[in-house]
Amino acid sequence: MILRVLLIGLLLVGRAVGAQHLLLPMDEAQANHLKAYGVVFGALVDNVRSEWLINYRGGAFLVPDLPSVRRAAALAGVTSEPVDAGTLATMRREIAEGNMDAVPLERAPRIAVYTPPDAPPWDDAVTLALSYAGIKYAKIWDDTVLATDLAQFDWIHLFHEDFTGQQNKLHLGFRDAPWFVQARERDLAMARGHGLADIPTLKKAVAEKLRAFVERGGFLFAMCGATETLELALAAAGIDIAGPYADGSPLDPAADAKLAWDRSFAFQGARLEFAPGINAMSDIDGHQVNVPARRQPLGTFSLFGFSAKFDPVPTMLVQNHRAVMPDFYGVTTSFTRRTLKPGATVLAQEEGAPWVKYLHGSYGRGSWTYLGGHDPEDPQHNIGAPPTDLALHPNSPGYRLILNNVLFPAAKKKTLKT
Amino acid sequence: MRGLLGWLLLGGALAAQEAAPAGAAALSRGLDAENGNRAREAVTAYREAIAAGAVVQGVLGLERVFSLTMQEDSVLAALDTLLPRFPGESALRGVQLRALVSLGRPRAADAAFRAWCATRPSDLAPYRDYARILLFNNRAAAVDTVLRDAATALGSLQGLALELAQMRAGLGRWEESALAWRTVVQDEAYYESAAVFSLTPAPVGARDAVRAALMTGRGTASSATAAASPPTIGVRQVRALLDVAWGSPRDGWTVLAAVPVTDTAVVVWRQFGEEVERAQAWGVARDVWAAVHRARPEASDAWRGAQAALRAGDATGALTLVRGAGVGDSTTRVDVAVPLELEALARLGRGAEVTARLAAESAALGPDRVRLMQRVVAWAWIRAGDVPRARAALAGATLDAEDEVAGWLALYEGDLVAARQALRHVPTPEQDVVRALALLNRTTVPRAPAVGAAFLALGRADTTDAVRRFESAAADLPDAAPVLLAMAARLETGRGADARARRLWQRVAVEHAAAPEAAEAHLEWARGLRRAGDGDGAREHLEHLILTYPGSALVPQARRELDALRPGVAA
Repeated sequence: MILRVLLIGLLLVGRAVGAQHLLLPMDEAQANHLKAYGVVFGALVDNVRSEWLINYRGGAFLVPDLPSVRRAAALAGVTSEPVDAGTLATMRREIAEGNMDAVPLERAPRIAVYTPPDAPPWDDAVTLALSYAGIKYAKIWDDTVLATDLAQFDWIHLFHEDFTGQQNKLHLGFRDAPWFVQARERDLAMARGHGLADIPTLKKAVAEKLRAFVERGGFLFAMCGATETLELALAAAGIDIAGPYADGSPLDPAADAKLAWDRSFAFQGARLEFAPGINAMSDIDGHQVNVPARRQPLGTFSLFGFSAKFDPVPTMLVQNHRAVMPDFYGVTTSFTRRTLKPGATVLAQEEGAPWVKYLHGSYGRGSWTYLGGHDPEDPQHNIGAPPTDLALHPNSPGYRLILNNVLFPAAKKKTLKT
Repeated sequence: MRGLLGWLLLGGALAAQEAAPAGAAALSRGLDAENGNRAREAVTAYREAIAAGAVVQGVLGLERVFSLTMQEDSVLAALDTLLPRFPGESALRGVQLRALVSLGRPRAADAAFRAWCATRPSDLAPYRDYARILLFNNRAAAVDTVLRDAATALGSLQGLALELAQMRAGLGRWEESALAWRTVVQDEAYYESAAVFSLTPAPVGARDAVRAALMTGRGTASSATAAASPPTIGVRQVRALLDVAWGSPRDGWTVLAAVPVTDTAVVVWRQFGEEVERAQAWGVARDVWAAVHRARPEASDAWRGAQAALRAGDATGALTLVRGAGVGDSTTRVDVAVPLELEALARLGRGAEVTARLAAESAALGPDRVRLMQRVVAWAWIRAGDVPRARAALAGATLDAEDEVAGWLALYEGDLVAARQALRHVPTPEQDVVRALALLNRTTVPRAPAVGAAFLALGRADTTDAVRRFESAAADLPDAAPVLLAMAARLETGRGADARARRLWQRVAVEHAAAPEAAEAHLEWARGLRRAGDGDGAREHLEHLILTYPGSALVPQARRELDALRPGVAA
């Protein structure tokens, strides 16, 4: 009789204690995928360690069942499921037996976004995603990059900046637009403030600092035109690859042959676009959206599946509830296979097309990730187009790719095998 | 094989494109078979028509039939034989391009287009037709290429402005599209609907640029200093109709109202009046019809304006219009103008005038209509707050227990049972009925004169008195207290009395936390705090709403407002 009372008492205590963890599912059951990243990030900021269950339910997150986490999830409209010890043991068994893994997330990465000081949050997809998810970041611009130690950041994001210093050749259509003139004058003043002759020289110096950041262990994520132009700027140290409208001197006619691709991260053997009237930088971009005669239509791209236990990093970067998603244009939309370095890991590609969409690789002690295109929810994004309202796209698979990159530097170092 | 051989044999007969009599007979048979869904028979007939010389009509027939039977590629086989014989025939080339594009063979379509261009080097038709086909298939980016080729080959895009406009819209280049549409509509005003259709999807951020481009003829990036030609009335009409579609019909009317009075202007104004009526922009419709009436005085236009004014809630404007309409058709005056005038007077609470006007028009109206109009008289007295006279006005009218007027009178007298019985049967309840029912469905109290007095004050548009009475009635009806307090709070919010509204919302939220109005109370409380500069306080209430009422329909809105309150994430 006493034993029975004790047993009942123990059961009641167990019930009262409740769940020990919360699972944030990231499959179709999740009401707000994007804000789920913010909830996990917020927990990390509060020193609450979490786990990323890669390949389990769309890349679910396991967080301790704390009132603060529950509250954050409820406020954000993020679906969470209480997990008791028994369920957790079953889950872990399933993860151990399948192509899945549990990656500990230990601390909130220090994030910096390279963006002009006056750029609104909707000017690029990353700041848009970070703002919507409630993830804090610092804004850095040329001054910070050139004058401070970038090691203060774990993760730096680049967007459609043109590191060749040619302002994405937008002078072709916008040379009199006030915003274009203003940006040009701002950059020129910045160059002169650093004792540099022109914008191409300034941007190459910035590119070099970013290369060093990665080499020393930083994580670099770039989208849109920053991907292609950063590579060109790195490969073109000491070579004039900017048109006369940018630096007053013609391109080096032998520039193609002189490019030093051992200094770049992802590409090799690319050919520069020499014609000043053609709005393209090189043949790295497969879609060439701003060259009507070359422009390729948008298709769909598929994410690769990786081995979670052997390739946790690429696996983290492709966590999603959708494996195939519609493509979207950007100044650089995609990356031609011909120009890829053998060491680059393709994370997503368009089946049968001569280009890929999403790349990752290591450089020195750090790593880089490139995603082509501008805005996953605005495939045709035009200059002056209104900002995307992410409240209307809380389950955007394209934006998830961006946020995967934000959380991946939080993963415990020893798991980063590739 | 037999088909192919047949085509080869038929080739010799394809010397003329005019339909020979024999061809006409075959075409007729083909059409009959097509209409009777006898595809195979239709194909045979059209082939005969082609063999007899009706080449274009026959091929167009084949195109239709093969398209319906999902065999678009079959028409290509026919064209393989025919095109070498009629290389410059636009209709055949068009069929070929349509088939290739719809079959998803872009390279072959491009090759066919180039081949056509080669046969007609200085002709606009290949570029125009191919561009249109691509536009029809939502391939605006490909149209861009075609038009650039056209500009190179022909030296200009003259004659392709329509395609250029559509292409730019398809690519989301709204401002440039608007400039192209301006050119099109300046020359050919009948493209106004096409322009509106094409530009309507422009997103909010691009609309000002579209508006400016239409009116000035210059884009924001343009460095041109020379003034473009002023917008024609057709262009103004496009701009105005876009404004209607984008929810700012008043701006559209401002653009149209500025043109000098001409017959064309009045026609355009009338069309615009009908458009804003469809959009239920009654205030604008009132002004449009008033302007039409001033320009070309016809009583029917003034009456239409008066009707719009009443729907816009502008009884004074309606009365002015109806009394200044002039002499119109006498039957229409009795059917339309007199009821409008009485209705306007009633809404203004001018009970004595309504009574007098009804008496004066009673002979023209006839006894049946006079009886019906007694309800309007009653409304006039209700608006004046004189319930006994309203009851007296209805003495001669036949009202059943489910009549809306009876319901309102019962409510004003505090008879909640009778009011509920009548108002819940109103077929298409308007906002005021819904508001009354929200209360009536929440209380079991049979009589509440205080509530009646509050609604009567609201009916007389005396908001201050209504607020006071709703709040005080909350004490008398505990089961409906949150509804009454929320009504008072909404009235205060509506007239911008933030502090007083906040006090009422606070009462709902704190004293009636389990009531359905509590979530709304927290949202409005938060909004009031935000407007007062208390972001932290606002955040607290939004969070409380989300966490305490997770099933409320207001939660998504609360999340959105919470996001907007979050301090900048940039460190």
